[in-house]
Amino acid sequence: MKDVGTSLQRTEPIPEPSGPDREAAVAELFEAHHLPLVRLAVLLGADDAEDVVAEAFYQLYRRWPRLRSPEAAATYLRSVVVNLTRMRIRHLQVVRKHAARTGDELAHAASGEERAVLRDDQKALVDAVRALPARQREALVLRFWLDLRESEIADAMGITAGSVKVHVSRGMAALSRMLEERR
Amino acid sequence: MTMPGTDERLREAFGALAAGVQADPDAYRRASAGWRRRHRRRRLVLAIVAAVVFTAADAVGLWALSQADPNTHVIFSDPSYRPVAPEQVDRIGQP
Repeated sequence: MKDVGTSLQRTEPIPEPSGPDREAAVAELFEAHHLPLVRLAVLLGADDAEDVVAEAFYQLYRRWPRLRSPEAAATYLRSVVVNLTRMRIRHLQVVRKHAARTGDELAHAASGEERAVLRDDQKALVDAVRALPARQREALVLRFWLDLRESEIADAMGITAGSVKVHVSRGMAALSRMLEERR
Repeated sequence: MTMPGTDERLREAFGALAAGVQADPDAYRRASAGWRRRHRRRRLVLAIVAAVVFTAADAVGLWALSQADPNTHVIFSDPSYRPVAPEQVDRIGQP
C-alpha cells in the first residue's frame, strides 16, 4: 500500500525500538490515541472508522523504523486517518455511482446511535458539514474539533498552510449559506 | 461572510457527535493480531519472491551453460593459435 501519511520523510536514521520494543511503543500509542482517532474518522464521515484506524496503526507498525521521531507518531496517525477516510469515501462514491444508487446518502458510522444524542440544530450542522467537499470538511474538523494550528492541519492533510486557510474560509462560507437556506 | 457564532456551534456539534462514539474495548487485541498476521504474511511473500527470483536466475544460467558447445573455447579463440611441440621451442638464450 502506498504511503498515506506525511511524517515519514526523515533523512538521518535514528535509533528506534524494534521487535518487542516496537510492539510496546505501538501498544502505548494505541492506548492513548485509538479513541480520538476513531472519533476523528467518524467526524470525517468514515463508515468503518474502527477499520480505518486499525489500518493506520498497521501502517505505523510497518513503517516504525522509518519514523522521524517517536513524537511524530501521533501526527503520522492523524495524517493516515485523514487520507484513508478520504480514499474510503471516494471509493464508496464510485461504487454507488456504478450501482446506480446515486440518490443514496453516504453511510457512515455516525448514522446510528451517535446521531441520536444530537439536537436538531446540531444534526443540521453535521449534515451540512457532510455535504461539503472532502478537503473543506477535513479542514473544518481539524480546525474546530481538534483545535489544530494551520501548520498542523497542513501537515495532516499534506497541503500548504495557505490552502488550509482557503479550505477553512470556503467551508465556513458554504456552511453559513446552507444554514441560511434551511431557515 | 460567515454567520456569527458558527464556529462555536460547529465546535459544540463536533463535540456532541464525538462524545457519542465509543471504541470497542477489544480493539487492540483484534487490531494487533491483524497487523501481526499481515506482517508475517508480507515477510513470507517477500521470502518466496526472493527464492523464486534466485532459482530462476540459477536455472537460466545453467541452461545457458548447457547450451554452449564444449569444443568452443572462449578464452583461446584465436584461429591462428596452434599449440607448439616442446622440440620446436626456441632454445637460443637459454642456459
